[in-house]
Amino acid sequence: MIWLTILAMAAVVFASRYLFLEPRLPVRLSKNTLAFLSYSAPAVLTAIFAPIVFIREDQLDLSLDNSYLICAILAAFLAYTTRSVLLTTVLSMGLFFVIH
Amino acid sequence: MLPIEVIKRLMSSQIQALKGEGKFNGFLKGTLAVMPLTIAVIPWGILAGSFALDAGLSPFESQAMSAIIFAGSAQLVALGMIKAGIGLTSILITTLLITSRHFLYGMAMRPQISPLPLKWRLVLGFLLTDELFAIANQGKQHKLDPWYAFGGGFSFYLGWNLATAAGIIAGQTIPNLDSWGLDFAIAATFIAIVVPSVKKPSMLFCVLVSLVGAVVCELLAIPAGLLIAALLGMTSGTLYAKLTGEKT
Repeated sequence: MIWLTILAMAAVVFASRYLFLEPRLPVRLSKNTLAFLSYSAPAVLTAIFAPIVFIREDQLDLSLDNSYLICAILAAFLAYTTRSVLLTTVLSMGLFFVIH
Repeated sequence: MLPIEVIKRLMSSQIQALKGEGKFNGFLKGTLAVMPLTIAVIPWGILAGSFALDAGLSPFESQAMSAIIFAGSAQLVALGMIKAGIGLTSILITTLLITSRHFLYGMAMRPQISPLPLKWRLVLGFLLTDELFAIANQGKQHKLDPWYAFGGGFSFYLGWNLATAAGIIAGQTIPNLDSWGLDFAIAATFIAIVVPSVKKPSMLFCVLVSLVGAVVCELLAIPAGLLIAALLGMTSGTLYAKLTGEKT
């Protein structure tokens, strides 16, 4: 069952990555579909990281004791001001491993 | 042999050498460009390796997951679902939603990659992660050096798999690895990618709806909450843009 899951997931992931790189595929996505899809990366990535940052032990934690929240705010600030992936990830992860 | 032949041969060998050097330079450039993200993925890979063991996979299956699927977020979410005993169909639907952003990456990279030979398309397609897209997507006019993309994608693949291997070893030897907070690396990476992409009000609205939606779904322990939150965010952003007549 695990192997079936791994192979089926690999097929889905690879298909999504390769599909539009295939030159024989006639690309005809409507403007509306493209507009909708343009929100997919930020929406999906946010939906993955938000629970990690805001929820501790199955509870909403907006306190200053939540080191995930503090460091996520720092990361957002750094990403907004510097636009540098390196500074954002290294500094916020550095602070996290110090205060966690 | 005529002197002219000798010169021709020398010149062609020179050109061959230069071409080889060009490949290597491109590969190295790509490796360096993706380096910050390769570093950021280490804790995340360790997490994927140790969490896979925790979800009941054998060490070999755990490594195979990273080597064959090569999609960090899809792997971690799927492992959580496997651990919770959720069925294959739900896992695959969730995988499809998580991976759907790659349709867009493929679309954006289509002008540069689709004219390349099949082996390049297959290799670069397999390696097309958020991270590779972040370093390789430089606009339609820019000509993509496949060796640059390969260097970025392949070094990132190696980093991801080595980190997974480290996680498999650490998961078997270090107790309380889950208290280290390795999952913050996921948050840091995604914040670093998402924040600069918020360039218009509708995108901000999409991200906020997705954020609140994901937290609420998680608090209420709704299965497939990720799916609901992301679709809500995408729909909200699209509607917001339509209703306010925002320029795309």
